[in-house]
Amino acid sequence: MSRAPNVDPERIIEKEHLVQEGMDISGHWNRMFEQRVIWDYTPELLDKVTDVEGGESFGWCYQCAQCIPVCPVDIVGDYGPRKIFRRVQTGEDLFDSADTWQCTTCMNCLRVCPKEVDMIQIMPAVRQEAVLSGNVPEELQEVFKNTVDYGNPMGESPKKRAAWVKKTTHEVPFMKEKKKAEYLWFVECYPSYHPRGVDASVALARVLNHLGVDFGILGADEKCSCDSQRLAGEQGLFEECAEHNIKQFKRYKAKKVLVTDPHALNAFRHEYPKLGGSFFETIHYTTFLQDHMDRLGMTHELGVKVTFHDPCYLGRHNGEYEAPRNMLKAIPGVELTEMGRCRENSYCCGGGGGGMWLDGHMSDHVTMRLSDQRVIEAVETGADVLAVCCPLEVSRFEDAVKSTGNEGKLVVKDIIELVVESMGPEE
Amino acid sequence: MSEQPVLVIGGGPAGIEAARGIADVGYNAILVEKRNVLGGTPELANYAALTPDFRDAGEAMAEMAATVTNNPNVDLRLGSTVTATTGSSGNFEVTIKNSKGSEKVSVGSVVIATGFQHFDPGRETQQYGYYEYDDVITLVDLEKMLKAKKVVKPSNGEPPKRLCFIQCVGSRDRQIGNEYCSKVCCGVAAKESIEVRQLVPDCKVFIFYIDMRMYGYWENEIYWPSQEKYKVNYIKGIATEIIKKGDRLLVRGEDTTMGRPMEVPMDIVVLSVGMEPSAGTREMAAIFEVKLNKYNFIETTGGALNTVGTSVEGVFACGATTGPADLEDSISSASAAAMKAITVVRKSAMAG
Repeated sequence: MSRAPNVDPERIIEKEHLVQEGMDISGHWNRMFEQRVIWDYTPELLDKVTDVEGGESFGWCYQCAQCIPVCPVDIVGDYGPRKIFRRVQTGEDLFDSADTWQCTTCMNCLRVCPKEVDMIQIMPAVRQEAVLSGNVPEELQEVFKNTVDYGNPMGESPKKRAAWVKKTTHEVPFMKEKKKAEYLWFVECYPSYHPRGVDASVALARVLNHLGVDFGILGADEKCSCDSQRLAGEQGLFEECAEHNIKQFKRYKAKKVLVTDPHALNAFRHEYPKLGGSFFETIHYTTFLQDHMDRLGMTHELGVKVTFHDPCYLGRHNGEYEAPRNMLKAIPGVELTEMGRCRENSYCCGGGGGGMWLDGHMSDHVTMRLSDQRVIEAVETGADVLAVCCPLEVSRFEDAVKSTGNEGKLVVKDIIELVVESMGPEE
Repeated sequence: MSEQPVLVIGGGPAGIEAARGIADVGYNAILVEKRNVLGGTPELANYAALTPDFRDAGEAMAEMAATVTNNPNVDLRLGSTVTATTGSSGNFEVTIKNSKGSEKVSVGSVVIATGFQHFDPGRETQQYGYYEYDDVITLVDLEKMLKAKKVVKPSNGEPPKRLCFIQCVGSRDRQIGNEYCSKVCCGVAAKESIEVRQLVPDCKVFIFYIDMRMYGYWENEIYWPSQEKYKVNYIKGIATEIIKKGDRLLVRGEDTTMGRPMEVPMDIVVLSVGMEPSAGTREMAAIFEVKLNKYNFIETTGGALNTVGTSVEGVFACGATTGPADLEDSISSASAAAMKAITVVRKSAMAG
C-alpha cells in the first residue's frame, strides 16, 4: 500500500534552543519535525476518557496489538484501539481528534481483545461528550439535525415514509388500520426511502404475502431506530426516537417485530429494553425466512456464483451467521463462495456507528473506503453477486463497485432480491 | 542409631519454612542464622508489603519466626555461621561459630537457604546514575519509604509529582553477566506502583518495561489492578539514560510502540533491581563444595523433576539460593528440601 510521505518538509522545525517547562534540553534532537511529539506523557488525557461512563475500559489496553490486524479501518488507514490508546497516552485529546470519528463500532477488536477494551462503549461515550461540546463533523451534524426534524437521517419527508408501498402490487397493511398483526414489520429508513432499499422492501412484501404472513407496518408513525446515531454520540436523540417507537409498539401490543436492518435489530434487542421496550421480540428477516424457503416456489435456476457479506450488527453483534447462508443455499442455482474475511471475522462495510455519514471525514484518513476494500475482496472470489442483508450495504457497495472499476464484474443484491428472482416474474 | 538432625542454613523465609517442616514431622533441625534476627531479606531490607498479596511483611515474618522460636525440635542458632564441614551424606560434621567460639555438631543432611542479595545499580552499564542522583532509587529504597508511609523526593523531602520505574536493571543483561530474568521485579514494581498511588494520589506513575513478566495470578492480582484501578501508565521501552535537569530528572529512551524518541521529566526514578546470589550463598557453596551455576547461584542437578538437589549428596538448596525466586516459590522449594533432607536422615538411621 502506498502511503503519504511521513515527513512534510514545510513542518520541519529547527530550534536553536529547545526549552520545555523551563528546562533546556538542547541537543541534536532540536532538529526535528513538528509532527513528532517527544516531550512528556499526559495521563490526564487518558484519565479524561476513562473518567467518562462507558470509557473506563479504554485504560485497560496492554498493547498486545491483536486489535490492529482485525481493525477494518487500519487496513485502509492507520487506526485501531491499541494505536488510539498510545496516541492518547502520548498527548492526543480524544475529545478533539479525528480518531474519535473513524471507528465504525464493527466490534472485531472486542472479539479478539484479551482485556475486553470495549470500543462499543468507549466510542459512543467519548462522542457524546464531543457532541455536547459541539465538536462534531459537519456532515454528521446534518444527519443529527435531519433525524430531529424528519425522523430519518436523509431529511426525507416523514409523510412519505410509506410512499414505497405504491411500488408493490402486494398488500402492505398499515397498523393504524389493521390494529393487530402477528408481525409488526419495522421497515426503517433506508428500506423506506433509498431506491435500492425500496427494491428490497418490495421484494420482501411479495414474499411475506406469498407465505401468508399476518403483518403490518407503522408507515408515517415510524421513526428511525436511531442506533447508528446513538453510536455516533447522540444518546439524547436516540432516546427520543426510541421512546416514540416503543410507544407505537405498545399501541399495537406488538409481540414480534420483524426487521430488515440489523442496526434496528441491535437497538431493539439491547437498547430499547433499557427504555421500557422489553415486551416484544425482534427477528431479522433472514432468521425468519430461513425456515420457509421451501414454501416460496423458487423454480428459476439463477446460475450465479454468490459471495455473502456478513453485516457486523447481524453477525458479531447479534450472533446470526447461518440464517443468511441457509437462505442463499436454498435458492436454486446459487453457488455460495466465501470471502477470506467472513462470519466472525467479517470485514466492515464502513457504514456502522455513524460511518454511513462520515465518508467525507474518513476520506482524509484512509486510502480507500472500507466498502471499496470489501468489494475488491468480493471480486477476488470470482463471484458474480455480492449478497447482502443490511440496507446500508447495497448503496455503499454499489458505489464501491463503480469506484473500484468493477462494473460489469460484480452486482450487489439483497438476499431477498435473489429470492424473488428465483420465484420468477409476478403472475 | 537414632536420627541425626538436619542442618538448615539461613533464617529467611525459606530456611524458617524448611526448619519448621522438619520439626513438624518430629525430626530435629538446627537452624543457623548469621544475623541476630530471623526474617531474612524481607526483614533486613525493610519490606513493607509482600508481593502479591500486600500482606504486611513484618507481621508475616514475625509469624514465620514464631514457628521456629522456642520449638523443642528446632535448635535455633542466631548470630552464628557455618565455617567448616567434613563427612558425607547421613553423617556430616559441621563447625558452627558464634561470638563465643566454635562448636562441632553432627548432622545427617543439610539445607542451604542463604538466598539472594539485591543487584547493586552501581554495576549498571547504563547511565542511570544511582550513586550520582539522590532521586534515583531502587525498589528496595522505595520499599523502605513505603514502610514508613512517606514517599518523598530524597533530594528535598517533597512528594513526587511524577515517579517512574525502570525495569530489568541488572537482569537479562549479558554485559553485566546476569542473563536471567529476576522473576520478581515486575510484580514488585507493580505492587509498589499501587502503593505509591495510594499514598500520593496526585503522583503520576509510569513503568518503563521490556516485557512485563507477570506469570500466573500476578497478572490479575497486581498488574491489571495497577493499570485498571490505579491508572499506572505502562510504556514499552526502558530508558537508556537519566540526565539531571535543574532539580528534576530527565529520563531519555525510546517509546518503542510509537517508534519515536522519548524524554520524560521525573521527580523520582525507581530502578527495578533484580537478584544476585548472596555472599552467604557463595560462602556455603565453597564450604560444602557444591557446584555453582554460571551466575554463582547453587546449581540444582535434578532438572525439572528435582528442584532442590545439589551436586553433593545429602546437601539440598532452596529458595533464592538456587536462582531468582519469589516468596511463593521459596516456601514451596523449602518444603521440598525439608522432605528430601528428612528422607536422608531417616534412611541412614534405618541403615545404621
